[in-house]
Amino acid sequence: MKTFRLQFITATLLLVSALSLQAGCCMTNKVSSCCAKSDTAATPFSDKSLYQTESKWATDTTKQITLGDLKGRPQVVAMFFTSCQYACPIIVNDLKRIEAALKPDLRAQIGFTLVTFDTHRDTPEVLAGYRATRSLPEKTWTLLRGESDDVLELAALLGVKYKEDANGQFAHSNIITVLNAHGEIVHQQIGLGGDISETVRELEKLLTN
Amino acid sequence: MKPNRIRLVALLVTCWCAASGFAWAASNASAGMVVIAGGVFKPMFRSPTDIKEVPVKPFCLDVLPVTNEEFLGFVRANPRWQRSNVKRLFADESYLKNWAGDLALGTNSAPDSPVTFVSWFSAKAFAQWKGKRLPTVAEWELTAAAGTTRSDGENDPEFKRALLAWYTSPTEGLAKAGAGRTNFWGVHDLHGLVWEWVTDFNTAMVTGDARGDTGLDRQLFCGAGSQSARDVTDYAAFMRYGFRSSLKADYCVHNLGFRCAKDL
Repeated sequence: MKTFRLQFITATLLLVSALSLQAGCCMTNKVSSCCAKSDTAATPFSDKSLYQTESKWATDTTKQITLGDLKGRPQVVAMFFTSCQYACPIIVNDLKRIEAALKPDLRAQIGFTLVTFDTHRDTPEVLAGYRATRSLPEKTWTLLRGESDDVLELAALLGVKYKEDANGQFAHSNIITVLNAHGEIVHQQIGLGGDISETVRELEKLLTN
Repeated sequence: MKPNRIRLVALLVTCWCAASGFAWAASNASAGMVVIAGGVFKPMFRSPTDIKEVPVKPFCLDVLPVTNEEFLGFVRANPRWQRSNVKRLFADESYLKNWAGDLALGTNSAPDSPVTFVSWFSAKAFAQWKGKRLPTVAEWELTAAAGTTRSDGENDPEFKRALLAWYTSPTEGLAKAGAGRTNFWGVHDLHGLVWEWVTDFNTAMVTGDARGDTGLDRQLFCGAGSQSARDVTDYAAFMRYGFRSSLKADYCVHNLGFRCAKDL
């Protein structure tokens, strides 16, 4: 009987502790606001459009936008962070090379969008400073900062992988994406400082079709 | 031990079960979750600048992977996630392809087997619908590092052997969720059934690094990997890292499911 009683007590203790752990879990039942909305919202965008996403982004010009607000003209999109010493200046430079290679009459019809990985340090003010230093025209260039979960989702949509290191730098893949006016991916250029002619051709095709 | 005593004990145990069943039902928001005490996750691969130790706060994790039946409940309540409605952006053509139809599991997918052929986006949407979230790599790996009797499975050769046995044997149909042994935390099936989505799968590993540090890819797949890996005998972890790094968020794969987590 002794051993039996002991087992019995042990079982009781286990049950009680299991239940108390359970209770801990159910205290917080937060329902994310995004999902409650997402199931009712019907977007006018196509099945493959990135503009279906409902995440909110802050621009360096203190506006709040969704990606859908970028619609209407092709966009050249890249992810970066302002304190990046190595790759990002090259990516931004690649975007500028693409811009410069476009025929002047087409240039104004294409948008360039940079989205930061660094949700903590790249505030809209920091992004505004970056725009000034790099002379990025407001009419065509959009600089965005989002919440980390939204950055993760956008990266997933663009096929961009990234990882923050111990120094607060981000290792990331270097991908330049062309979205058509409806937010669908039509072309991706992978790597740094490469040949931009194909990307330029894709953009011109979008505008002349 | 006298027979009447046995009866008494049996009666008490029955009462307990009934009472605890009631309590479980009452806490339905988190039924089927356990608390993982947290700790420190040491990433398997690191370059000299990588974070060496990732602190993990205590959190709740589903005891079982999400089953076909549970996912059916989700798509029933959220028609936009049904097979014929889902947007291509969020799930590739294989989405739920082992089901018989939008709202029918059919013979190829048992109700109590883990749901597979689900994308990261759909897994994330399911978790949000439940008021939960997907676990992070750090949370998942920390929990999965536990053996059956201790939280540090890496010091348990028996645990490692059992793991490898799974990774080296082909999958033939999916068993039902919960058939395997629980680990130290009371969690089932982290190994041995399906691979699982984590929220930050696309930060687990970077290939084609921004700073020209493209060595990771080579380090993973070639023998040189052992030099930068923390524990060279943990071959199963190599496999998981390789698998995660090959995923895209819209992929729906036959042996990839998920489970949910929640803040404490």
